[in-house]
Amino acid sequence: MIDLILFYIGVALVFIGGVMDILATIGFFKFKEFYTRLHAATIGSIGGGLYPLIGVVFIVLGLDIDYNLKLVFTGTSIIAAGIIALATPAGSHILARGVYRSREESPSVIIDRLGEDLERGEME
Amino acid sequence: MNRGYSVSIVVFTIILAVVYLVYTGSYGLVEITIALLVGVGVSLVLAPDLILNPSKMSPRRFITAIYYLVKYFTIIEAKAHWSVLKLILMPSAKYNPAIVRIPYSVTSDYSILLISNSITNTPGTVVIDVDEKRKYLYVHWIDATSVEDQEARKSVSEEFENYAYKIFE
Repeated sequence: MIDLILFYIGVALVFIGGVMDILATIGFFKFKEFYTRLHAATIGSIGGGLYPLIGVVFIVLGLDIDYNLKLVFTGTSIIAAGIIALATPAGSHILARGVYRSREESPSVIIDRLGEDLERGEME
Repeated sequence: MNRGYSVSIVVFTIILAVVYLVYTGSYGLVEITIALLVGVGVSLVLAPDLILNPSKMSPRRFITAIYYLVKYFTIIEAKAHWSVLKLILMPSAKYNPAIVRIPYSVTSDYSILLISNSITNTPGTVVIDVDEKRKYLYVHWIDATSVEDQEARKSVSEEFENYAYKIFE
C-alpha cells in the first residue's frame, strides 16, 4: 500500500516536471527579452529539473527491487538535486550580471534602480 | 588546537562522509573507512576557512535549516511557479518588469548566499547585482507590485531573511 502511494507521488512529480519543461519552453517564445526569459529558464531548471529528480527518489522507493539498488538510485538523485539547487541560481545570476554590465541588452523595465545607482556613481 | 576547531573538524567530516556515502549508495565497512579518512583530510585543510565561528553550530540551527528547505521547496516554490506560469499561460497577461533595490541587514557570507540563492531560485525574481558595502541586492522582478525599497523587500526577501537570521546569524 505505502509502496503504491510512494510510486504514484513519484510519477506525479515526474509528470509535473515534464509539463513545467514544456511550459517553460513556451515561455521562452512568449517573453521577448533576455531578463524575462531568465524567469522561464528558472521554471525549467527547478520545476523541470529538481522536482523530477525528487520524483525519481519516490518512484525507486516504491518499486519492488533490491535494497542496494534503491540506495544507489535515491542517493544519486538526492545529491544531483542538491547540486542543481545550489548551482543553477549562481549560473542565472552571473548571466544576468554579465549581460547587464556589458550593456549587451538594456532591460525594458518600469524602473531601473541599478542603472540609476551606477549613473550616480554610488555603486561601482 | 582549541575545542571549537576540533568540533568544526568533526562536524565537517561527518557532513562530507554522509554526502559521499549517500552518493555512492553502499554502506560497507570499506566505504565508511574511505569516507571518514578522506573527510578528515579535506576538513583539516578546509574547515577553518569554511566554519568561521564554531560556537554558532547547534542542532537547533540544523533543524531550522531542514524545516526551511522543506518549506521552501514545497510551499514557496509552488506559489512562485504558479505566479509565473499564469503569465505564460494567459495570452493577454500584463506584467511590469522592474529592477528594484532590496536592502538586507545580515552580515555573514552564508546568509547573503542563502538569501540571494533563494531569491534567484524562485521564478519571477533574479538577483542581478550585490552591493556589499551599502548592503543592497538589485533584483529583476518580472511582475513588480511596488518599486519602493522597503515595500519590495517585504514581498520578495523578508521571509528568506528571517530564516537566514535563524540559521546562520
